[in-house]
Amino acid sequence: MATFWLTVYVLVWPVIVAGVLLQIVRAFFRDWIQSRKEGRSII
Amino acid sequence: MTAGNKVGFGVSAASMTATWIWASSMYASATSGYTYGISGPIHYGLWGALMILFIYPFGRRIRKVAPKAHTLAEVMRARHGKSSQLMLAGSNVVGSVISLTSNFIAGGALVALLSPFSFQQGIVAVAAGVLLYTLWSGFRASVLTDFAQVVAMLGAVVVIIPVVFFAAGGPSMFEAGAANLTAEQSNFFSSEAFLNQGAPYIAAVLAYAIGNQTIAQRLFAVREDLIKKTFVTATVGYGATVIGIGMLGVMALYLGVNPVDNDVNNLIPQMATTYLTPILLGVFFIMILGSLSSTADSDLSALSSIMMADVYGQNIAKRGKAKPKTMLLIGRLSMVVATGAGLYFASGQLNILDLLVFVGALWGALVFPVLASFYWNKVTNKAFTVSVLAALAAFIPVRFAWFSMDGATGYIFDAVSVVGIGVVLGLMAFGFFGLKPALFIGAAGAVAAAPFVMGFLHDYEVLTGSLVAYAVSTVVCYLMSVRSTTEFDFDTIQQRIGDFDTRTPAETIAAAKS
Repeated sequence: MATFWLTVYVLVWPVIVAGVLLQIVRAFFRDWIQSRKEGRSII
Repeated sequence: MTAGNKVGFGVSAASMTATWIWASSMYASATSGYTYGISGPIHYGLWGALMILFIYPFGRRIRKVAPKAHTLAEVMRARHGKSSQLMLAGSNVVGSVISLTSNFIAGGALVALLSPFSFQQGIVAVAAGVLLYTLWSGFRASVLTDFAQVVAMLGAVVVIIPVVFFAAGGPSMFEAGAANLTAEQSNFFSSEAFLNQGAPYIAAVLAYAIGNQTIAQRLFAVREDLIKKTFVTATVGYGATVIGIGMLGVMALYLGVNPVDNDVNNLIPQMATTYLTPILLGVFFIMILGSLSSTADSDLSALSSIMMADVYGQNIAKRGKAKPKTMLLIGRLSMVVATGAGLYFASGQLNILDLLVFVGALWGALVFPVLASFYWNKVTNKAFTVSVLAALAAFIPVRFAWFSMDGATGYIFDAVSVVGIGVVLGLMAFGFFGLKPALFIGAAGAVAAAPFVMGFLHDYEVLTGSLVAYAVSTVVCYLMSVRSTTEFDFDTIQQRIGDFDTRTPAETIAAAKS
């Protein structure tokens, strides 16, 4: 495999992980704010 | 045990992702990259990720049939009876203890390499920490800490992989170290990697999700309309994280790194200590600690729910007389006992990758009988029990090569494995497309695979063992059920499974205070 593609292959994973992390954090805080508004536990 | 079946997307996605990312899966992915080369992490992480996705359609069915369930084994009791329940519960307990063991080993290896403490001291410290905070609040603590852990783990992956990559020489390492790889290791489509690592894992795709109560527990906890979103997020999150960490193994291979004491479990900590600054080493430590504790606490929590619901709630307490306080005590005691067992096995420093592949194959015996029980009203308790026992009886001697596969024996097991390939493909297709496409895909897959596997597949005992488990359990379960006159009414499961604690949250708090 060419050096360029090997580099992309190694570095693409942290980029995808960053996207997922952002989505989870945003959703978690949305859940948290919502539960506080409703006066209940987040779980 | 399942937080009232109403957990939101943020919490459940974090929890599912954190639970599925084991420290041991990070170690195993790096080992796979180091052993099988550039395709190694894909053959670990991609199939591991698909495990989550493939269980999704079955998960929806399970929730529909048993919306108030706490464990899969509990549903099996409602569907079949005691022996099926205890068989599934037993396999869940074995899986949880193996999972605990592998996570303690990962923690011990890390502590031994990064601190003056020994491996044995490391596993004791990790086990004690996880046990204490899980005892504190059970499933609730497990889910809440999962969020903190997922942030730590995923955040660390985002930073650590590029840092190690550039500190180790960046793209030039691929040119300088190309000679360190064999032809198979530098081939992205390596058949060695596929047959030794990828294929046994594909076979285990469904087995893990069925056999591992941690996933089932979250499946029962999340709000029903959020199941799909949660599963997809966890699939992508798990896959990218674990494959990403596996790149450390690939880099180690290119760099010609030799694992300390020839123990591949040391690869990740070694790469970290060599290429990370002290601050990032701290971040790395948190990442591994987060991943192992999130899975270990989930295992403890899942295991205790099995002991509470399946053993005490339905087999010791009289019907409808289970006491929530006694149940809690049993749950806590089982956590302590399981931690002790995990510590005992971890002290043997077994190879984590071997442990995971073994348990995945073992669970293969359960997949068809469990799934068929949710869709086919003819499956009986006897068919379930006999098929699982028969599959285990066939799997164990094949997996551990107790007899020679020379001559006709090898061909016979290759033929059985071909049936296993058809079963695995068919089950995967069934979840998404229904019965007819599944039968076609399973049959076509088996016929297409036959010429390529007959005569040599038996050399790969892990894969053969797993496929034999699938084939035997499916064929026996089918033959024993097809002529059965039983016509089970799935609606009765809902009536048979309910909450053990019927008090309102306010009443529960008041009772706890008194």
